Amino acid sequence: MEAKIAAFGEKDIMLIFKAIGADVYQIDRSDNMEYAEGKLRQLIKEGYGIIFMTETIAEKMDSIVRQYSNRVSPSIVIIPGPGERNNYAVRQLRSAIIRAVGADVMAEGDNKKDRSNRWQK
Amino acid sequence: MITGVNPTRMELLKLKKRLSLAARGHKLLKDKRDELMRLLLEIIDEVKEKRMAVEKEFNSILEMFVISKASMAPFQVEQALMIPSKKISVSVGLKNMMSVRVPEYSKEVSGNIIPYGFLNTSGDTDVSLNRFDKFIEDLLNLAEKEKAVQLMATEIEETRRRVNALEYRLIPELEETIKFITSRLEENERSGIVRLMKVKDIVRSH
Repeated sequence: MEAKIAAFGEKDIMLIFKAIGADVYQIDRSDNMEYAEGKLRQLIKEGYGIIFMTETIAEKMDSIVRQYSNRVSPSIVIIPGPGERNNYAVRQLRSAIIRAVGADVMAEGDNKKDRSNRWQK
Repeated sequence: MITGVNPTRMELLKLKKRLSLAARGHKLLKDKRDELMRLLLEIIDEVKEKRMAVEKEFNSILEMFVISKASMAPFQVEQALMIPSKKISVSVGLKNMMSVRVPEYSKEVSGNIIPYGFLNTSGDTDVSLNRFDKFIEDLLNLAEKEKAVQLMATEIEETRRRVNALEYRLIPELEETIKFITSRLEENERSGIVRLMKVKDIVRSH
């Protein structure tokens, strides 16, 4: 099965995706999110297999990203956006793990200690 | 206990069959859950490391690209990249991991990533685009792995629910009902015997 590639995000980042031949859709942070959501749903319907999306946009369209994270297609890949980082992708991953395992396996050093302490108490 | 069940031998046999089926299903699902969990824990660290590496690399490429863009007139970059010559087509295959279908991407690349002449564009743009070209491979790889994690997590959750439903709900319920029917049947048998003895007594006393 052939998959088309689309990219969703701010203008600067979209230019670089255009160079690799992805279909590019510019969304700016100030843009109307309802429009962007509609566009995204339309793209999914059209059969885009891989959709790159900057985390700033993804955070605003959280519900859709979540909805499609459990499907085989499309694969929505979160890439870092301009400006401040919000670690959206890592948070998504973490919530998936918590859902599956029932504990935060990805927690680092300090948190791990907290967890073991809690069990000891 | 299942309500509204008739304490008959037929019902008892039926329930016993269901119980053995449920026990078998429970064992299988439990094994599936354990194996899925093992696979997930195996790839989770890898995914996390990859994610970090990809984000770092992407940020540095982006930084370079934006800076190089700033050194040219705004329309020039857009013009240069207006018609991309590179075409990546990705074909999606499905891999079966413990009955979870996970996508596998393989890409075919044609054309050069730099669609413009070298006049009017800065050298940094070329470098960052070339780096991005190499980087796409990692990005697709990460996409595949992250999808696998998401899908497996969902499957584990579902399997866990099923295992728990069988273990704490269906199996005890069936066992209880079976116990109820057997004791009811025994009781009937006993009362039959007692009735017979009583009748014999009455007959004898006449």
